Order: sequence, then structure tokens, then C-alpha cells
Amino acid sequence: MLQQLTNLSDKELISRARKLKDQEAEGVLMERYSHLMVAVCLPYLNNGPATSPEEIYPSLLQRLSDSLKTQTIPKANEWIHYTIRAQQAHADKNSPFFPSTESREQQQVEAKLEKAATNQKEQQQLIAAIERTLDKLPAEEKYLLKEFYMNNKSFAELAEAKKISIEKLRQTLQQAKQKMASLLMNETYE
Amino acid sequence: MSNLENNEKILKIFSNIRCLNRDQLPRYLDGRLTDVEKHLVEQHLVDCDLCFDALQVLQQQQYREKYQPLSASMLQYIRNSIKQVSHAHKAERYQRQEQKKESFLIYFWVVAAIAAGAGLIYLIQQQEKFKSPVTKAMASNTEIPPTAVDAPPVQAAVVTPVRAERADTLSHRPAPATAATTAPVAPPAATPAPAVPKPVVKDSLKAKTPAAAPVNKDSAKKQAPPATKPAEVKETVKAPAPEHKDTPTVAKKTEDKPEPKPVPKEKKDDDDDKPKPKPATESAPSGTDEFLYKAAMVYHQQGDLNEAISRYKHLSGSSGRYGELSRYQLAVCYRSKGQTGKARRMFKEVVRMNGSMKDKAQAALDNL
Repeated sequence: MLQQLTNLSDKELISRARKLKDQEAEGVLMERYSHLMVAVCLPYLNNGPATSPEEIYPSLLQRLSDSLKTQTIPKANEWIHYTIRAQQAHADKNSPFFPSTESREQQQVEAKLEKAATNQKEQQQLIAAIERTLDKLPAEEKYLLKEFYMNNKSFAELAEAKKISIEKLRQTLQQAKQKMASLLMNETYE
Repeated sequence: MSNLENNEKILKIFSNIRCLNRDQLPRYLDGRLTDVEKHLVEQHLVDCDLCFDALQVLQQQQYREKYQPLSASMLQYIRNSIKQVSHAHKAERYQRQEQKKESFLIYFWVVAAIAAGAGLIYLIQQQEKFKSPVTKAMASNTEIPPTAVDAPPVQAAVVTPVRAERADTLSHRPAPATAATTAPVAPPAATPAPAVPKPVVKDSLKAKTPAAAPVNKDSAKKQAPPATKPAEVKETVKAPAPEHKDTPTVAKKTEDKPEPKPVPKEKKDDDDDKPKPKPATESAPSGTDEFLYKAAMVYHQQGDLNEAISRYKHLSGSSGRYGELSRYQLAVCYRSKGQTGKARRMFKEVVRMNGSMKDKAQAALDNL
């Protein structure tokens, strides 16, 4: 059973956990992201009251489990990241997780892409649309995206070539991508 | 061609890639990933804050050391909680299933009971529909030729004595009953008897009046007319008899004949004012009672207790010897049916009647 569940996608696990009240699915989901949770929480351990690993992780898991039952979770990693941040900021437990507009637009584009994967014509149309939006981007961002995605350059290579830090490079790429996503989505609405 | 490839590659910008798994995370940090894998991870890192943050943290050596044991214990913690929860969950699920099964069973039995009840009611109704015409017909039968019902008793009456004597050993039948049943044998036997007693009587006459043969002859002559007289009486008796018994066969008639005979003959004898010890004669109503009683006895012996009981009951209302006897038999029937309460009551009644059956009834009561 556990083996079968590990093969399921995040979405399926979440829906199982929610609809069937399947605690195992929930556990498998938590397990899938546990190493990332551990890593992200490391700097906040033993930083003050109730921050020992024996307290912080169970409470984080509890928090995730609670919110899993009530929230729509399009992307598990974003949801977990948000929850960890909220816990670290000692934020109110009831502040729900909502994906940002950029994230939603990006998801929509991703969904479109997945849908077009089996349809050659749609795929061609989508490629044309992406190229058009890529041309609309500033030269700097266009260059980085092209180098990174088309020429398979690594973060380190690009950062070195541009003389910027990896974080800055990643941020730039992320922003460029989000811009493209919003342009693509707005183009379809026009 | 390169343009086409580029075109396809452009789609990578928006392809969704999974988060780094447990294995990839340290390998990426160590630079132990292949170029393709590394590129995929970096594509994902552009989007995923969680993975990027984790990598940022783990790049610092101090956290790197803590990471491995904590990650392992976290995994263990989650697995343990899953196990516990899943066990509880399974138990709960099982319980729910059982409850469902149970409730289903209850529903099933309720439905089955209702169906059975409905079926029973339907059957009863059907039976009543069937019964009512049949019973009506039967009732009309009994009303129109009551003799038809009486006929078998008569037949039976003839049969019973023999049987009764045999049945004595069965102890079902008390001795007085057999006495009563054998009594009827006497009258038929008496039919040839008249010829015998009469000469005796004549002898006594002779003794009274030592007359010669002519007198004897006279008496013989006298006797002759009486012999014919009974025949006439027979006819007169017979005349109503057929009316009474429509169905009986000729054989029965012949059997019946002897029975009415004795009475007229006795009457004749009375007319002849002979001081003759009459064989325990009973009044006319007791004669029918006797038949009824014997018929009931036949049913009783054949094992048809219900019919016997109903007949005994009918008889038990009548006063006299057969009332008592039938009550006694009724009690016997109840006893053999297992209704000891009713049997006891009947026996008590018999005892109270203080008749010839009192002792027997008392004995039966004591045995009950």
C-alpha cells in the first residue's frame, strides 16, 4: 500500500488524504518533502523557546496536516514553503495559503503545455506564442532564458559570465519566467 | 532543424519538474549529478523556493552535519505516525464495515419478517376463503342428512365391541366401557334367545299350570303370533329406521335389525307379563347416546383424537351413564394429547359426578 502511494503524484495524494481521509497518503506526502522541511528549518532550530527539533518538526507537520484538510493546494512545494515561513514568523495559524497571481499564471501555462503535449498542432501554436512573448522581454532576461533553457547552461556558468551571484541569477530567471507567463495568459485573454 | 529543436526546447521554460528528492539534494550540493540531471534540478530551482532555500541552508557546513540525522529521525517519526494512524484508521474502517454489515443484516431480517408475515396472512386468508365454502358444505351435509353422519357410528357400533374387547389390553379403555360396549352385543345375541327363554317361560307356565301338551301347544300357538308380531313390529320399527338411515347399505340394515328387535320383543314380553330379568335396558335417548359414544370410541381408537374429543364433548352434555363415560373418555383423550390441565379438570368432573367411573377417574387423577 505504501509502495503504491509513493508512486502517486502530489495532487493525487492530497486528494486521497482529503476525500478518503487517507492518513497514509498524507504521511507519504509529508515523507516526500520531509528532507526539504528539515533543511529549511535548520537555521531556526534552537533559536528561542520551543524551537528544539523535537518540538518544531511535529508542530510543523501538525500544521501542515491541519491546513491540508481545508486548503486548495495547487503546488505542494509552495504550500509547504509558505507554511514553514508562517511558522517561523510565528504568524497566526489561521492565515490561509493562497498561491500568488504569478504562480497561478505560471501554473496555467504549465497546464496548457501539458494539455498540448499530445497535440502537435497545439504544441506548435504554443511554441509560437512563447517565442512571441520571449521577444517582448528585455534583452537581458531574454538572453539569460535562452542561455539557460536552450543552451543548457548551468547556474554557475551563467552567474560567472554575468558576474552576478547565483541567487541573483535565479531571481532574474524566475522573474523573467513569471513575466512571460503573465504575458502569455494576458495574450490569450485579449 | 536547430530552429525546430530550439522551438521544442523553449517549452522547457514552462515544464513542471518535481522537487529534489532525498537522494538528489546532497548529490547536487556535492556536484555529483550528471549534466542533464543538474540542468533539470536547476530548471526546477528557478521556480521552487522550498528547494532553493533548502540548498542555501545546506551549503553551510554547520547545518549540513545536522541534516542527515535529523532527516532520518523525521522520516522515522512520520512513518511511525502513519503506522499508528493507519492501524487506527483500519480498525475504524473495519468497525464501520461491520456496522454496515450488521445494519444490513437487520434490514434484511426485518424485510424477511415482514414478507413472511404478509405471506402468512395471505395464506390464512386464502385458507379461510377455501374453508368457508367447504365448512358450509359440510354444515349443510350434516344438516340435511344427519343420519349420514350417524350411519358410520352405527356401523362402528357393531364393530367396536369386538375391538373394544381386544383393546382392553391397551388399557385405554376402562373396563366399564367394555362392559358397556359388550352390552350391545347381548341384545343381538338376544335375538335367538327369545326362542330359548320363551320355552323356559313356558316351562314356568307349565309349572304354574301343570297342563297338558295342548296348553303347551296353545302357548306354542300363542307364541307363534308373538313371533309374527315382532316381525310386524320389526317392520314398524324398520319403517322409521330407513328414514333415519338413508345411506346405510343393506348389510347394515340387516345388522341394524337385530338391535331394534330386542326392545320390541321385550315390550312384547312385557305384554306377556313375564317376570323376565331384562338385559340392562336403557331409555330411548340413551340408545342414541350409546351409538354416539361408540362412534366416538371408534374415532378414539383410530387415533383421531380431535374428532373423538369433539364427539365426546357433544355427548358429555347428556345426562346419565354415557355423559359420564364420555367425560371420562374426554379426559383420557386430553391426557393422551398431553393437555393434562384439561384432562385433570375432566377427571375431577367425573369424580364429582360420583358415578360408576368415580374410582377409575380418581385413580387416573392420582396418576396424572
